Amino acid sequence: MNEPNSLASQIPPIIPSAPGQPGDDPLERAPIPNAVVAIEAILRHPRRVMFQLRQPNAGKLIAAMLFVSIVCSLIYGVVVGTFSGGTQLWAAPVKIAGGLVISALICLPSLYIFTCLSGSQARLVEVCGLLAGLLMLTTILLIGFAPVAWVFSQSTESLAWMGTLHLIFWFIATVFGLRFLETGFSHSNARSHVGFHTWAIIFLLVMLQMTTALRPILGTSDTFLPTQKQFFGTHWADCLKAQDGAQQPGTGR
Amino acid sequence: MQAQSEKLNLGEIGVLLRGETESIAAWAERWNAQRFAFHVGVILLGAGLYGAAMGWWRDPQQAAYVAIKFPLIILLTTLGNALLNGMLAPLLGLNLPFRQSFSAILMSFAIASAILGAFSPLLAFVVWNAPPISQAALQGATYNFIKLTNVAVIAFAGTTGNVRLFQLLARLGGNLAVARRVLFAWLVGNLFLGSQLSWILRPFIGSPNLPVEFFRVTALHGNFYENIFQSLQQIFNH
Repeated sequence: MNEPNSLASQIPPIIPSAPGQPGDDPLERAPIPNAVVAIEAILRHPRRVMFQLRQPNAGKLIAAMLFVSIVCSLIYGVVVGTFSGGTQLWAAPVKIAGGLVISALICLPSLYIFTCLSGSQARLVEVCGLLAGLLMLTTILLIGFAPVAWVFSQSTESLAWMGTLHLIFWFIATVFGLRFLETGFSHSNARSHVGFHTWAIIFLLVMLQMTTALRPILGTSDTFLPTQKQFFGTHWADCLKAQDGAQQPGTGR
Repeated sequence: MQAQSEKLNLGEIGVLLRGETESIAAWAERWNAQRFAFHVGVILLGAGLYGAAMGWWRDPQQAAYVAIKFPLIILLTTLGNALLNGMLAPLLGLNLPFRQSFSAILMSFAIASAILGAFSPLLAFVVWNAPPISQAALQGATYNFIKLTNVAVIAFAGTTGNVRLFQLLARLGGNLAVARRVLFAWLVGNLFLGSQLSWILRPFIGSPNLPVEFFRVTALHGNFYENIFQSLQQIFNH
């Protein structure tokens, strides 16, 4: 009579397994009806977004995420523009939002190629959705950094300092965005992450070059776009040289 | 029903890239004119777009020329070596019908071309950001950077295409050693002919000191290997 109980006492307790595919938890299957819910979902339950991107009507969610990305980058762009004021108040947001979308479009085909080469079963729509998620998360985080950036932009005149600060904020935000993309990537049966990491480096380089291709974003110029072609390393070195000694640190504004 | 299951869709490029050998082997076994046209289309589009990005730095006309020449090299190499490759496979232990070996090579080039096409916006972006070729040629660094970018992308695309081809050959032959032998023989033949075709169809990036043209006037003077030999002679006689 006691045998079943004694056997039960010998069986080790079941350890809850690591989360499986998105949608395994019923909470993750809750629909995302609008952009506000999409923002909340990507911050709190990113797997909910990943699950919805696999559903047949994912196009609406992708459009909502792109819309949020553009709005957020325009807002952050206005904050960037306050450093120089004048025409930069509209030029900086246009360049930041445009640069973000163009960078994503340039890198989308290679992301799909690397996804397939890694053995992932993700469809092109899902890859587009994950990339839109990356953009949305990155730009939402930039909005979080915006008040800090604005305070600094009002208290310094150093272009190099502000440029570095914006780059640091952009880098932190993009790392979180890439982390979301990598999680989505790993849930699509990818055998290796080497391709993804290679793509992430390409994406970062394209975005860095975009800051030079669309310059000036922070400073001012007579023309909307640069007249001279340069790679970002050369441009930044020139900026730092021009700044060096030309300005006293800590000057008020 | 057969016709239904053989319907083509763009998702097939994903199957090729993932290297799903079961599906790819089935495609190679059954001749399908539509699929053949699809693979040729991928080569024309992918390699064409990459060629356009490559030639754009020199001149838009050069971009148009290279968009034609780049896929042409791939297709001419596949066709030129088709008979030889079809004969080498059974001789080296892989009893493939001619059509199957031709399809397998075409598919590996389609994979490489799809990768090249996907990288073409990136190369176009690099070229768009580069100083004009005349000025850059004098500086040297930009010219070398663009050359190395091209080498890296083409090498990656070519290697991936061949890795997938090797996996397919191993699946078809059931023997890794035989697959390795056949792939090596095919590679030697394709590299030999492909290098010479590239030599004849030069220029690709173009030179600021020479006119934009489809063929150089000296296109058929000498060959790729003579040029390599002369370069080596110059190095050792220096």
